Amino acid sequence: MIEIALFMAGGSAAYAFVRWLNLPATPLLLIIGFAVGRIGLLPRDLLQDALVLGLTFLMFVLGIELSPRQVRAQKRAAVRVGLAQFITLGLLGLLSALALGFDLVAALYLGLALTASSTLVIVRLLQQRKQFFEPYGRLVIGVLLLQNVLIILLTPVLTRLPGGWTAVAGGVLGTATLVVLAFVAQRWLTPAIVKLQHEEEVLLLGALAVLFVFIGIADQLALPLAAGAFLAGFSLSSFPLNALVRGPLTPVVSFFTTIFFFALGGILSTPGPQVLLHAVVLTLVVVVATPIVVTVVAERAGFVARPALEAGLTLSQTSELSLVVGLHALLLGQLAADAFSTLALVTVATMVLTPFLAREQLVRRLLQMHPTAGRVAGEAHHDQHIVLIGCGSGGMPLLETLLAEGASVVVIDDDPEIVARLRDGDVDCVHGDSSDPGVLQKAGVQRARLISSTIRRPRDNQHLLDLKPQAPVLVRVFDEDDVAWVEQCGGIPILYSEAAAGEFIDWFRSAYAGPAGPNPRGGFTGPFPTDLDRRPQPLPGE
Amino acid sequence: MPDTAILLALGKIVLAAVATALVARLLRAPAIVAFIIAGLLLGPATGLLEASASVHVIAETGIVLLLFLVGLELSLDKIRDVGRVALIAGLGQVGFTAAGGFALSFLLGFSAIESIFIATALTFSSTVVVVKVLRQKSELDTLYGRIAVGIFLVQDLVVIVVLTVLSGLGRPEDLSVPGLARSLGLAFGGMASLLAVALLSSRHLLPRVFAWMSVSAEGTFIWSLGWCFLFVVAAQYAGLSVEIGAFLAGISLAQLPQSTDLRRRVDPLMTFFVMVFFVALAVEMELGAATTQWKAVTVLSLFVLVGNPLIFMWIIARMGYSERTAFLTSVTVAQISEFSFVFAAVGLSAGLIGPAILSVIGAVGLITITLSVYMILHNHWLHDFVKGRGWLRIFNARTEPEATAADVAPRDHVIVVGMNALGRRIVRDLLAEGEAVVAVDSDARKLAQVPCRTVLGSADLPSVLEEAGLERARLLVSALQIEDANTLLAYRCRQAGVASSIHAFDPAAIDELREIGADHLIVSKGAGTRRMATLFRDMGVVGG
Repeated sequence: MIEIALFMAGGSAAYAFVRWLNLPATPLLLIIGFAVGRIGLLPRDLLQDALVLGLTFLMFVLGIELSPRQVRAQKRAAVRVGLAQFITLGLLGLLSALALGFDLVAALYLGLALTASSTLVIVRLLQQRKQFFEPYGRLVIGVLLLQNVLIILLTPVLTRLPGGWTAVAGGVLGTATLVVLAFVAQRWLTPAIVKLQHEEEVLLLGALAVLFVFIGIADQLALPLAAGAFLAGFSLSSFPLNALVRGPLTPVVSFFTTIFFFALGGILSTPGPQVLLHAVVLTLVVVVATPIVVTVVAERAGFVARPALEAGLTLSQTSELSLVVGLHALLLGQLAADAFSTLALVTVATMVLTPFLAREQLVRRLLQMHPTAGRVAGEAHHDQHIVLIGCGSGGMPLLETLLAEGASVVVIDDDPEIVARLRDGDVDCVHGDSSDPGVLQKAGVQRARLISSTIRRPRDNQHLLDLKPQAPVLVRVFDEDDVAWVEQCGGIPILYSEAAAGEFIDWFRSAYAGPAGPNPRGGFTGPFPTDLDRRPQPLPGE
Repeated sequence: MPDTAILLALGKIVLAAVATALVARLLRAPAIVAFIIAGLLLGPATGLLEASASVHVIAETGIVLLLFLVGLELSLDKIRDVGRVALIAGLGQVGFTAAGGFALSFLLGFSAIESIFIATALTFSSTVVVVKVLRQKSELDTLYGRIAVGIFLVQDLVVIVVLTVLSGLGRPEDLSVPGLARSLGLAFGGMASLLAVALLSSRHLLPRVFAWMSVSAEGTFIWSLGWCFLFVVAAQYAGLSVEIGAFLAGISLAQLPQSTDLRRRVDPLMTFFVMVFFVALAVEMELGAATTQWKAVTVLSLFVLVGNPLIFMWIIARMGYSERTAFLTSVTVAQISEFSFVFAAVGLSAGLIGPAILSVIGAVGLITITLSVYMILHNHWLHDFVKGRGWLRIFNARTEPEATAADVAPRDHVIVVGMNALGRRIVRDLLAEGEAVVAVDSDARKLAQVPCRTVLGSADLPSVLEEAGLERARLLVSALQIEDANTLLAYRCRQAGVASSIHAFDPAAIDELREIGADHLIVSKGAGTRRMATLFRDMGVVGG
């Protein structure tokens, strides 16, 4: 009991720092686990059990969350960016590791480990910034999913590399078998679990049973534990099972992952000067190469400079998955203790850096160095026109209303697909980032009679409002907190949440006329907002 | 390959437990019984599993989490008023059962020392079994549930005394009066200090630090576990049981506003660990000689199943509780405890009893635990049955039931999930319409601003929706800007047959939400755009 108490005390201390410094939990758990391990308080055999169990549950939940549904329109971009990032980082990692004097197998492991970005860190960051469902957020999630799959598929190959080609072929065959099993289970077996019961206890135990069956099979096929657990999770990843299981599974997973990272810190050797040097070099590789590759490829896949750069900075850290891969290699004796410590150091450093790197100030500063960020395509020579900033699904109905009236309109949008489509329809467009003064100037905001901004983040209108245009500026706002800010800057806030609540209440009144009104299930067909059915054509990737 | 012995053991336990639980479901047997049978299959029947040290740690963690959860659910006010009855009934029952058990064993032909062991083993009831079943029935919070928990805690204190004495039995040199007094003094002093720390911290320390941490649900969860295990270690140090430490830690957190959310998080973790506990318990059961002693096993089991409740019924009825409460409380004590096996094992290793006694106690435990689970599950039916025969009249208890605070469950209300700008407005507008509203959010600070009934917790968890009264609601509205949570809410409403109105903050999700069965979608982008268009018109930019 004293050992579990120690784990939980360490976890509590780490979370105190998480709250205080607003950093991700993983690096702090590693650091505190390392400190406690140095004092020599952690018994070896229990550490081993904690690592094995933690790894299992961590991979299991990564598998369950493997639903490409969240990526939506960004699927194609995510595959392009993900592959480019994976190959570049893998090669750079491999070459740097070789240059630093690691042997080939260790260098291959380090290369693979550097390709991963952390789901735990990124999901937390995107949730805190409420950017999870922005296009760049969806792109990042897509890249993460791709990385996870590639690494899980490649780990069995690497672990068998010393055994020669036949062993590797066996690993590939075994992995393929397990993947097929996971698909079969996802398609036919797990829907049966949903039909069976919704009771939490049964769901939880059922999910664990699936987990242990897959681990057993992976063990029989001599595949890494991580692969078995991940694919077990994948077999449960279809809706609604993944969502139903998430509730009861979350506390179990956070208990075991806390123990996992803490124990992992506990087994690290004290880094010498050489380990520190290696860690610095590899950290630089991750922090410098990732944003560059991701930004370049994301822009080619249709993103403008700013979200592309944001995606790159968000992805620039190594992952819990890197540690899992490294741990496998360490336990197999393919990676020396020092090499593993190097990897852990890189992970701690990059994870701690991420919240600072992905800050808005840094994004703006880097954008100034960006060769094409200031470039603007298209110019409007209108007078007394209307400027629409943002013309996605939200702005499109406005544009249609205006065009129907024959109004003179200029659209600013950062999505090349939307701009191309509008230009086909002879709408004047400026393609670019509306927080860029050059873009605003090209759209002639100073000569406009009305400006309407429907972009996602109200504060991105800072430049526009600072220009103090003659025309009234309507700004899309969701939170009341932003209302005062917009007014202060001279804009007219349009509170979307209030508008939506108003429409909801109208519907509610009509659906439930009076307190004893009919239940909408009784033959009522709700008046869905029909004008939104005329959504723009699907974006690339769908 | 890494040493995966722990996974192998857990894998066997989980698969056996799930397999038996599925069969048990068909036979309408309770899960605990299924887990025990799984353990018997893995251990005594096939020898497939030997419980390792790690499995023991997991099993013991299960007990800790269960008692922590009980503490979280029963705040101090709730058990204060049952303190007297728990103390008197607990101590009285220990005395009567021990005496009766000793006499019975002696008559069955066991030696005096063997009879002492058997009598002690029969005295204690299993907190884990009863609490698990009462939780499942949602009756932990009833009067009889609280009395039962109080009695178990009193029994736990007696267990400590007995274990302290017993640990001296094997080493006669420790069995001196000053030595025992020191151990007992440490135990009761420790108990008093832990209680004091729990009470003081729950008033002065915990509300502040947990309010600071409340932005992170995961952090709050890990902190509460850290606090729990701190008490467990302190209790162990004082020679108390881990149960008492965990229970007091739970009690001290129960007053926090976050306690309901904590309960929901500890619950699934407990489910997993306690499952391991039950399986491991049965794996180690020694039943070898039980068949030759079947007469003794039968008589002793009957004594526990019938005699124990009779003793209790009599004591509690004397204390002025109603017939029903006395009966329901009594039914909960009709089994022996996992401690009983520990006693017997200690006695065996001290050479005081033979393996046959261990088997007898094991068999009695198996029989009484299994049957009492059924008895507690069907306790109301059992009460009506026994009362119908007129058998309860001999106890001469009060027949009118205690007055219970009527639960004013919301009905025909609207549940609004997600207290962001949209959710708050919807709540306000619905209240203005005269609707009964229940607001749900995982952030206590956001709920503090809402002027209606609130439920704290993540809407991902079914228990949160249950507490919000989903089954009886007329509509659920989700203002959340989290895609997965919204699709899940739409799905759950569909399953529950409740209408739903879901925030489709990204129009790309509209088709999916409709497909899942949302009755109405709040398309905030559309609404905002329409408002902008209206403004265009007002400004004369477009005609209309």
